[in-house]
Amino acid sequence: MTVSSLIAQFFVTPIALGGLQKAVLILPICLSIAIVYKVTRLENLRHMIRAVLNLWVTIVVGMYAVGVGLWVVYTLLV
Amino acid sequence: MPNPNELSPAIRIPLAGLLAWLVPGVGHLFIGERTRGLILLITVSLTFWGGIAIGGVRSTVDPQRNYLWFMAQICAGGHTLAAYGLGESSRSKHFKANVPDASYQRDKRVTQRLKSDLLSTANWRSAELALVYTGVAGLLNLLAILDAIVRADPAHRRMAVVTAAPGTGAT
Repeated sequence: MTVSSLIAQFFVTPIALGGLQKAVLILPICLSIAIVYKVTRLENLRHMIRAVLNLWVTIVVGMYAVGVGLWVVYTLLV
Repeated sequence: MPNPNELSPAIRIPLAGLLAWLVPGVGHLFIGERTRGLILLITVSLTFWGGIAIGGVRSTVDPQRNYLWFMAQICAGGHTLAAYGLGESSRSKHFKANVPDASYQRDKRVTQRLKSDLLSTANWRSAELALVYTGVAGLLNLLAILDAIVRADPAHRRMAVVTAAPGTGAT
């Protein structure tokens, strides 16, 4: 199998994900959101990295907190 | 190619928006915001194609089944059109392989059923996550398009020069 057919197969066949992997894949998408938001908001990009990291951590902690909160509510109700 | 700064705002602003839609980040590159444009190009492209890699090109961009998600995905412009084209081509190959009789291939119901079979074989977790990744990439590009349009306006440039001070910036 050639490298190009391997890459083609990678983009055609869905990856089998577990629940934990899905939770971990929140990290890169939150990073993308933080980068694009800060790139459009900041006039001076010299301080971008710190601002992006702050926003990324805030989003990730917030998302996991909401997730845990909903899971607790669900566990208590069901 | 003429210098974008020499173009009138009536051409420069919509052209920046159109380029930003076609290829994320290129609208910013067009108006001279090179760093901003490159960061947007890399980030939006990686997010979109990361989603395609997770869910597969066949089932991720599908305007018939996921039309609301498609509305978000189409904001990523060229990426979505390319993914849709690749997906259609891959689906056609799949149909031809599974339905050798050409008369059945023209039957829309058979085609639809095969398509549903194809989609149901996708891992639901990865299919869901792929939609989120590609949809968010499209919405992030919408933000980038609006930003390119605002920055292409000479009035914004004058305001940015007046208000920008080292170490500050809107948060």
